[in-house]
Amino acid sequence: MKYLYAAATPGVNREVLAAIVEGALAKFGAPVGQVELAGIEFAYDAARNQYGSIPVLEMLAKRIPKDACKLLAVTERDLFIPVLTFVFGHAQLGGSVGVISLARLRQEFYGLPPNREVFLERAVKEALHETGHMFGLVHCADRSCAMSLATNVRQIELKRAAFCVGCAARLPLTGEVE
Amino acid sequence: MKTHWQILVVDDEEVMCESLAAWLREDGYLVDTASSGREAVAKATQRDYAIYFVDLKMPGGMDGIETMMQIRRRYPEASIIIITAYATVDTAITAMKEGAQEYIVKPCNPEEISLLVSRIVKVKNLQRENSILRKKLSRQYRFQDIVSKNPRMHQILSLAQEIAPLRSTVMIQGESGTGKELIARAIHNSGDRAQKPFVAVSCAALAETLLESELFGHEKGAFTGAAERRIGKFEMADGGTIFLDEIGDISPKLQIDLLRVLQERCFYRVGGQEEVRVDVRVIAATHVNLQQAVADGKFRDDLFYRLNVIEIRVPALRDRCEDIPLLAGHFLERLSHELGRDVEEISEGGLRVLMDYRWPGNVRELENAVERAVVTCRGRALTEEDFAFLRENGHFRTWAVPPSMTLEEMEKIAIIATLQRTGGNIKESAALLGIDRSTLYEKIKRYEVPR
Repeated sequence: MKYLYAAATPGVNREVLAAIVEGALAKFGAPVGQVELAGIEFAYDAARNQYGSIPVLEMLAKRIPKDACKLLAVTERDLFIPVLTFVFGHAQLGGSVGVISLARLRQEFYGLPPNREVFLERAVKEALHETGHMFGLVHCADRSCAMSLATNVRQIELKRAAFCVGCAARLPLTGEVE
Repeated sequence: MKTHWQILVVDDEEVMCESLAAWLREDGYLVDTASSGREAVAKATQRDYAIYFVDLKMPGGMDGIETMMQIRRRYPEASIIIITAYATVDTAITAMKEGAQEYIVKPCNPEEISLLVSRIVKVKNLQRENSILRKKLSRQYRFQDIVSKNPRMHQILSLAQEIAPLRSTVMIQGESGTGKELIARAIHNSGDRAQKPFVAVSCAALAETLLESELFGHEKGAFTGAAERRIGKFEMADGGTIFLDEIGDISPKLQIDLLRVLQERCFYRVGGQEEVRVDVRVIAATHVNLQQAVADGKFRDDLFYRLNVIEIRVPALRDRCEDIPLLAGHFLERLSHELGRDVEEISEGGLRVLMDYRWPGNVRELENAVERAVVTCRGRALTEEDFAFLRENGHFRTWAVPPSMTLEEMEKIAIIATLQRTGGNIKESAALLGIDRSTLYEKIKRYEVPR
């Protein structure tokens, strides 16, 4: 049986990682493990003052543990892909690696007072979303489904931390994950 | 439905190209990439892309504007979005003047691209729905609307195209649901009579007296209830085509009346004294074997020969199995759109069920089966379970060895069936048959298996 790994990069709070493991990764049909990763400074783009998610995915693909089916990294850094101003997360569609960024999930980022619960909930939803992509799911038209596209935090708020029936049906059952 | 719309991303910078393509794929679109204007134009000829993202600055003598102009020249309905890292008002104006739908500056906000694409897709979906509805409304079927890769069907369609401009009577024979009316409409719409009426009458649906008045009309007071003079279908079809479906079911009296119309091109309304002259092309259709009906004395031989000037025999669906995946795919695309269901494909198992079923109701039954499966299916692909209802009908191919069959004949049948099942894939067929590829090639040659 292969593991679904959550990988913390430096600076990621243990509480967030625990919430992601419990609220998101444990919902897929595979045992969950945790690993620690080095920082992603190599992906820093000085012109944009952000971190490229593509080099991060390339690094993850090289570091994925042998007994892993999927590896989801969590970072505090703000991520981007060249064509977009930012991404909340990025995963190989139907692949084995993905990453989510916590940078834009905090209320403070938008000049609002901190709210731990809201932040943790957003992190869990984004982790579900990117892991869903790794399992081959594409965006869902159902706004309340974790697989619906969110380009801002309001849209993350509209989602539930769960998949709709249609998306859930396309996921492998417990014990079927390879 | 998203997946029907394909997107091409054109950018010389691979990382830009791939990152945008990957992002759009996550949204469920089918996305291709091209690294130059030339490659984009070449790809546009191979696939029907609905949206193009084209980078403005590209080396190699063909920039984004030039690429857009070449694509738009060939595909004016394509939506093109110009992307650039350097926004100036001038380039934006030029791009829009040359027909770009939008102009975006990279890096752009994900929300902006997402809204842009969903807006374009919304319009495209509406346009597509509009064209489907229009076609449905006018039933202006043409030969291009008949889906088949069967050689016999191709012969029929080319014959039908040749005879479309003539006035000769056509007899279409074929089992129920094989598309006889579709062919009749295509003949009508491809000929000189296309602008005139096409009037279809089902001869089996009405009693003799009613059918007589339906075909030829009646005068006021011709029979009880004939309060007004009414013109019949022959008069309605004047200048155009009348399609007489289930002609084998008409009574001996009507057979004589019809023979007169075909010979003289004139008739009397029921209860009328005045001769009515019409210029009508007659296309008749039947699911019964009319030659046999003539031999049995149930159908007049003189009428049969008058009707059978040009004979078209439409094969049953089970005799053109290669069309089943094609037709099923065609129906799936149309029905999932019409029914608003996000169903994209038919699984291998689902197709196997369709291929093994004998389709007594032919193409019409296949269309109904796909519709039922689309309505009831839970995933994005129609599977074996979604077609389980067909098993209840029991019309499945059963294997029985005919008394005089040789081993060679059996081998040939197995090879043909496997090739049909795999869509002509030699490697897959050889694996399924348990022989190597060279042996399969040899046998295909020896048995003269059509490919």
